Amino acid sequence: MPGRGRCPDCGSTELVEDSHYSQSQLVCSDCGCVITEGVLTTTFSDEGNLREVTYSRSTGENEQVSRSQQRGLRRVRDLCRVLQLPPTFEDTAVAYYQQAYRHSGIRAARLQKKEVLVGCCVLITCRQHNWPLTMGAICTLLYADLDVFSSTYMQIVKLLGLDVPSLCLAELVKTYCSSFKLFQASPSVPAKYVEDKEKMLSRTMQLVELANETWLVTGRHPLPIITAATFLAWQSLQPADRLSCSLARFCKLANVDLPYPASSRLQELLAVLLRMAEQLAWLRVLRLDKRSVVKHIGDLLQHRQSLVRSAFRDGTAEVETREKEPPGWGQGQGEGEVGNNSLGLPQGKRPASPALLLPPCMLKSPKRICPVPPVSTVTGDENISDSEIEQYLRTPQEVRDFQRAQAARQAATSVPNPP
Amino acid sequence: MASAPWPERVPRLLARRLPSYPPPPPTVGLPSMEQEETYLELYLDQCSAQDGLAPPRSPLFSPVAPYDMYILNASNPDTAFNSNPEVKETSGDFSSVDLSFLPDEVTQENKDQPVISKHETEENSESQSPQSRLPSPSEQDVGLGLNSSSLSNSHSQLHPGDTDSVQPPPEKPNSDSLSLASITPMTPMTPISECCGIVPQLQNIVSTVNLACKLDLKKIALQAKNAEYNPKRFAAVIMRIREPRTTALIFSSGKMVCTGAKSEEQSRLAARKYARVVQKLGFPARFLDFKIQNMVGSCDVRFPIRLEGLVLTHQQFSSYEPELFPGLIYRMVKPRIVLLIFVSGKVVLTGAKERSEIYEAFENIYPILKGFKKA
Repeated sequence: MPGRGRCPDCGSTELVEDSHYSQSQLVCSDCGCVITEGVLTTTFSDEGNLREVTYSRSTGENEQVSRSQQRGLRRVRDLCRVLQLPPTFEDTAVAYYQQAYRHSGIRAARLQKKEVLVGCCVLITCRQHNWPLTMGAICTLLYADLDVFSSTYMQIVKLLGLDVPSLCLAELVKTYCSSFKLFQASPSVPAKYVEDKEKMLSRTMQLVELANETWLVTGRHPLPIITAATFLAWQSLQPADRLSCSLARFCKLANVDLPYPASSRLQELLAVLLRMAEQLAWLRVLRLDKRSVVKHIGDLLQHRQSLVRSAFRDGTAEVETREKEPPGWGQGQGEGEVGNNSLGLPQGKRPASPALLLPPCMLKSPKRICPVPPVSTVTGDENISDSEIEQYLRTPQEVRDFQRAQAARQAATSVPNPP
Repeated sequence: MASAPWPERVPRLLARRLPSYPPPPPTVGLPSMEQEETYLELYLDQCSAQDGLAPPRSPLFSPVAPYDMYILNASNPDTAFNSNPEVKETSGDFSSVDLSFLPDEVTQENKDQPVISKHETEENSESQSPQSRLPSPSEQDVGLGLNSSSLSNSHSQLHPGDTDSVQPPPEKPNSDSLSLASITPMTPMTPISECCGIVPQLQNIVSTVNLACKLDLKKIALQAKNAEYNPKRFAAVIMRIREPRTTALIFSSGKMVCTGAKSEEQSRLAARKYARVVQKLGFPARFLDFKIQNMVGSCDVRFPIRLEGLVLTHQQFSSYEPELFPGLIYRMVKPRIVLLIFVSGKVVLTGAKERSEIYEAFENIYPILKGFKKA
């Protein structure tokens, strides 16, 4: 009988349940060794599975585990099952929860925090196995606030001394893209909007990698970038039909929530692509804008390595020497452009001088220049003049006026509304 | 730490001593501490003249070495100190020596020669080749700036073995001179940022002081113009003054928290002003246990930083969760400072009790950040 274990003598799995004088026994059919007598499940294993056992028959094992901890452990298992995680994740997450529960700060925490702790344990387990689960997803499932989640998460990572790897972007792209409902025609999705999953996945990956290289990913929430990349990938695979569709409509069609920053990420990504397009001679003459560049995304992605190198110069060296741009920037360009210069094209046709490869926050001019505070010569022991202190005190007349005003205000608020 | 850094002493003695170079033979008897240092500085000047180096600020130079040995090699090969056997016996194996403080190019250039310090190897490579071994690992320890007790030990090792004309010098003055030289590798009080010209600016100081008397918060809120008191929201009076622009939380127990100052002195002055205000309101306020609890500084390294790379290499110190916060939280162990590092290159340092901790933390983080400069 499968699933019942092995015979300790001969190791065979052919175990047969037989009854001997009305007592059921598990017997190995190969060597005849009697393995167990009586019922195979015990109260101990029942309690281990957190099933209710009557008090008179309980082994007392679960009494060492408090009821709230039992509830938390059940929640961890349930969450793992809801997320359809592999079975090994469940045990790891349960172990983390138990480990956390040993600390008095966690035992004494509010129920809300214990709820969120369930999510934290599952998240840590997923991160360690490179399973792309976002904090937003867990918060939605637990009906928890991201602030509470964030503070509990940081606390538990510090408390348990864990090394939690970063969110795996590649896996997240695969999972997130697959959740877009665009791979089959349906009443809401017209035929021209349906796309092949593999093509879209690979192009989205390339766009996300491009965004990563050009500083659009560092420091930002990863999801909106992937949304923007998916949208661009989808549009570029059939631009003629899809250019008319907006990002919001796209997300609605695909049955995916549109994250708020996605539109600005989209603009940033388009700006990068436009800069790259400037480096290709046959695209430069077309004078592309943010809509027309979508048609050429395929070409741009194919040559993205060299285009990024030629379109952008290293921002680090240039931040200080912004004014000293050399006029003939011939040597910095890629293979396609050197030919241009040698052909002696007029100045206007030369590719634009490389832009700085910097994160968008560094490219924007500062809202206000923070003045360096003047070096103060305060010693801390100066004399404090009386007049300076007196400016902060109320005169007796002012005190009386203030008290009268306060009393009047209180009287006004305490009077009930006239019927 | 009150003594001047090493290089400042050189010009003064140079003016006095240079015409009489070379120094008189040491048959006169071992010179006092003054004269020993003179020889030392003369040697430094001479070497710098030879090599065309910048003024001899060699903070790592070890005065424990019998400097007379170096001097004679350069110009007076026939002086009695030439073959000092004691020097050679102290140069043991170098397996235990930690050379990690040296930049890579120096250790590669001088692989065949035992390395003492950055400056010394450059200076000594010409003047030292005939000499078999340079001084011992203990002197390299001097270069690392270890405590002077080990220095005085090694010093006493070398000197008794010297020629008879040399009296064993008293240990204490030597250890003083050694400790002078060993000061500079440690973190300076003022931010001499050797790596870069960037100095973190202090943005906020939080300090506490005990006024040592029970206070009537209602009375304070009534009689002071710059106070607000809402007992249902918070159990303290929030008072503000204009100069220095700060805010104070004054509790009924007499304890006060002062925040918003840009320097320690300003914080102290502001706290005194608040205490004065409370005094003028009729309370017997004193000014006890003024203590700076937290200092926050910020600066800009002016290049973008790959935070994902930084969290991979410094995982045990960093925490980077872009889903929660755009910056990387770096918890430095020594000094115990928390740094918030952003992709734009701006760095916020907090958790310091002393200004030097902020400077030290930035000195420690800057080379790490420079490693992530390239995309």
